[in-house]
Amino acid sequence: MSLDDLLPFVSSRDGALELFNLKRLPRVTLYFRKGKLTCVHLGNKPVDALQARSVIGELIEARKGSFEFIPNSRPKLCPEVLGWSVDRLLISVSTTYDEYAQVADRLPHPDTVFKLTHIAVPDDTRLSDFWKRAHPYLQVGASARDLAGRLGMPVDHARFYLLKLQQLGAVAAHRAHRARPAGRRAGVAARLLGSLKRRFFGEGNAWSH
Amino acid sequence: MEPLKVVVSGPVGAGKSTLIRTLSETEVVDTDALTSEDIGKETTTVAMDYGTLHLGDQLLYLFGTPGQDRFDFMWDVLSEGALGLLMLVRGDRPEDFVPARRLLDYITSRQPVPFVLGVTRQDQPPVWGPEEVAPFFGLPLEQVVGLNAKDPRSAVGPLVRLLELIAAEEKAG
Repeated sequence: MSLDDLLPFVSSRDGALELFNLKRLPRVTLYFRKGKLTCVHLGNKPVDALQARSVIGELIEARKGSFEFIPNSRPKLCPEVLGWSVDRLLISVSTTYDEYAQVADRLPHPDTVFKLTHIAVPDDTRLSDFWKRAHPYLQVGASARDLAGRLGMPVDHARFYLLKLQQLGAVAAHRAHRARPAGRRAGVAARLLGSLKRRFFGEGNAWSH
Repeated sequence: MEPLKVVVSGPVGAGKSTLIRTLSETEVVDTDALTSEDIGKETTTVAMDYGTLHLGDQLLYLFGTPGQDRFDFMWDVLSEGALGLLMLVRGDRPEDFVPARRLLDYITSRQPVPFVLGVTRQDQPPVWGPEEVAPFFGLPLEQVVGLNAKDPRSAVGPLVRLLELIAAEEKAG
């Protein structure tokens, strides 16, 4: 049974769905109440909304694992109650993965450093969750690899969010030279320019290319 | 006097090796290998191209980076401490603009290196010109130069522009 089929089936009952024997994730527990996903635990720790989306995405991608449903189980700790409709969550995650597949070859390099260009929160909730968590780091400059480590998400997910924010004009690649120009001896470039023009355009054209 | 280096980068087939061969006064050392995947040509640079140019008493090294992603470790190695970066993209292959921007963003976000974008194949219309390519890269037109990498007087254009920009920075202090 795939997770897409399993989640709507179990989410109508109050309790916890434990998923284990997963290739890339430790034990994941999804808590449901009144038909909504209220909390996600990774290992024994609750995760925030941004990480929860990544975890659900990874679970759907995983395709293989074991599960157990514990009726009426409630989380001991849940600082951020998600309250997500499972149907809407599945559509949102599937849409993200479809988009991801379309842009996979355009994702930024994991180590490209990005900076915020303006401080407007994106409307799309998938992006705004990422933006809220990432913007303190993006204010000073951060790569997808940095953000993945700090926000506890796969690097490729961080690359996807950065691409979407870049397309919205909310972030841009940092230009290190503007921030700290490399030190050079004064006049080096002007001197080289004269020599270069003489070599390629002749003596009379040294200053009028 | 310590040699300076200029790095020439860009996606596969942008004209990096051609430009270095055109500008170099010594025979270019290249590290071409037969391609292991379909990239539109039989050989490609796997480590770097290397040429030299004497400008007065100043020796300039010209280093060409490999275009394929799997050699990305060379991009940092070659760009560190460079006088400048010439990023090339084929003007007749707009599908290369995305990988070129990706490469430009990677290098310039990590290394404090001034750069110019060179749009190659200007001699082979139909081709996108600098004024059309600049907005895609979010660059001012002064930072984008059209060229034919086989013609020395045209191929030198991006290097001239790079030096002009650096000289203007030096003057501004």
